Amino acid sequence: MGEPAIISVRDVHKVFNGHTDRAVTALQDINLDIGPGEFVSLLGPSGCGKSTLLRVLADLTSPSQGEVTVNGKTPRAARADRDYGMVFQQAGLFDWRSVQRNVELPLQVAGAPKDQRRAKALEMLELVRLGEFAKHFPWQLSGGMQQRVAIARALSADPSILFMDEPLGALDEMNRERLQGELLRIWTDVRTTVVFVTHSISEAVFLSSRVVVMSARPGRIAASIDVDLPYPRVAETRTTPEFFAKVKEVRQVLHAAESEQAPA
Amino acid sequence: MTVTNIPATPGAAAPRDGARPPGGKSAAGGRPSGERARAARGRLANAFGVVLVIALLAGIWEGYKALGQALGDRIPLIGLGFPVSTDDLSMPHLSSIIGALGEPASSGDSVSLGMYLVGETTVTLREALYGLTAGALLGLALAVLFLHVAPVSRGLMPWLVASQTVPLVAIAPMIVIWAGKADAPAWIAVAAIAAYLAFFPVTINTLRGLKSPPATQLEFMRSVGAGRRQTLLWLRLPAALPFLFAGLRLAATASVVGAIVGELSAGTGRGIGRSILTFAYYYSNGPEKLYAAVLIAALTGIVFVQALAVAERLALRNRPTR
Repeated sequence: MGEPAIISVRDVHKVFNGHTDRAVTALQDINLDIGPGEFVSLLGPSGCGKSTLLRVLADLTSPSQGEVTVNGKTPRAARADRDYGMVFQQAGLFDWRSVQRNVELPLQVAGAPKDQRRAKALEMLELVRLGEFAKHFPWQLSGGMQQRVAIARALSADPSILFMDEPLGALDEMNRERLQGELLRIWTDVRTTVVFVTHSISEAVFLSSRVVVMSARPGRIAASIDVDLPYPRVAETRTTPEFFAKVKEVRQVLHAAESEQAPA
Repeated sequence: MTVTNIPATPGAAAPRDGARPPGGKSAAGGRPSGERARAARGRLANAFGVVLVIALLAGIWEGYKALGQALGDRIPLIGLGFPVSTDDLSMPHLSSIIGALGEPASSGDSVSLGMYLVGETTVTLREALYGLTAGALLGLALAVLFLHVAPVSRGLMPWLVASQTVPLVAIAPMIVIWAGKADAPAWIAVAAIAAYLAFFPVTINTLRGLKSPPATQLEFMRSVGAGRRQTLLWLRLPAALPFLFAGLRLAATASVVGAIVGELSAGTGRGIGRSILTFAYYYSNGPEKLYAAVLIAALTGIVFVQALAVAERLALRNRPTR
């Protein structure tokens, strides 16, 4: 990357139960730079620490060792300044708030005045194409729609970074592919940096400008693969030879990383 | 209109995929009309159930009495006596109990017994309401305290449990004496006794509710830089609301019991508890009067809980139906 990194990870280790004999190394020697505007996927089998790495970036947990900067600040400061928005596997919307008031929540925490919150929430709902559902309640929406509301909510405070922790993992295949397309369209619109955790190879390749492949026990970065397929990527992109070739390449790296350290 | 059906814990509000289609009508946020019709049918069925239960209870009472009268209170062949004798002193006819409500409260009185009891009931209800309000506020405050200060929770909880196992008849006179020493009016002592019973279910249920939000929602609040106060105000308290109401329902019945027992100890001149004591004293002069008073006291509890159920339905109208 020629540009200065927006996210920088230096020699990060994360050990759970560090002071007991059941210590588990979740992350080892993690070094990673992510430039502004990148769409980076963290890809790997379960237990490879990809979610833990994202949670370190988001200051939902802290590293045992090493340095992390997000937007030139500590993760804690970045979190307090709402420099990033976060989407989880479960939409986690608040049942008692209308869709619009759910999207307003980050702005409400920030202390924004009511009319400004309202205008911004409606703008975000238009962005995810749910404008007409502003007055509905989350439990009246399908799972895919709820996740789109969660994306609108994550973006409402204008963060420069979007962290996504397997956001499409709970959806069926049809909805999943549709939402992948939606996500790329939204990303093209708002131009935030995206860090996206997934265990789906095709999902990572379709979405990302770069795939960071991780291996398990201990969680390490095995490779960083640029995906040079041109944007905008559409449904037909999935059927091109270039797409297949990239999926194959990533799969080989993933399997090589796994067999390398698998005990006999 | 179910009174007995008090849920201890409302169902966890887990996100359901495609559980409900977006409102079919254009009315924003409105529920589908089929659902409303189903709710109306449900209410009708409930009302029918209530009437059925009342008819059944009345039938059992009068049937048992008629049977006893016919058999001379003895089971034929075995010759064992009925557990409760069925003469008019022990079991007055329902008609005479209802009839007593229309007669003068005491001889030469212009006020009917029914009006008199309703008047006394409002006194008791007011005491119970003060007690419930104070108890609910205390219970809520304790729940928030327990949530945020774990050592306090561990240290204080056993004492709270103990406080509820001590018999009320032992506690009530003490509260009355303390209130008397402080020159407080008697109704304060009665309300305090009601509050003593009311706070506990509110604390327990609210604490569960405050801890009910899933990790994703708590982490989301953290991710947007929300502090403890904002998380409490916008996530934990709204999430606890259904639990709070479950606690309030238990607290409402407890506060009426507390107020009635409190009146007995406090020597207040008024209230339904006082009436029960008076009519029990003069039982042989008019047994139906005591039954009438007990009936009114029971109705009081039902009215209280139903008023709360209406408040609950209003407060939770936008939640998914459980």
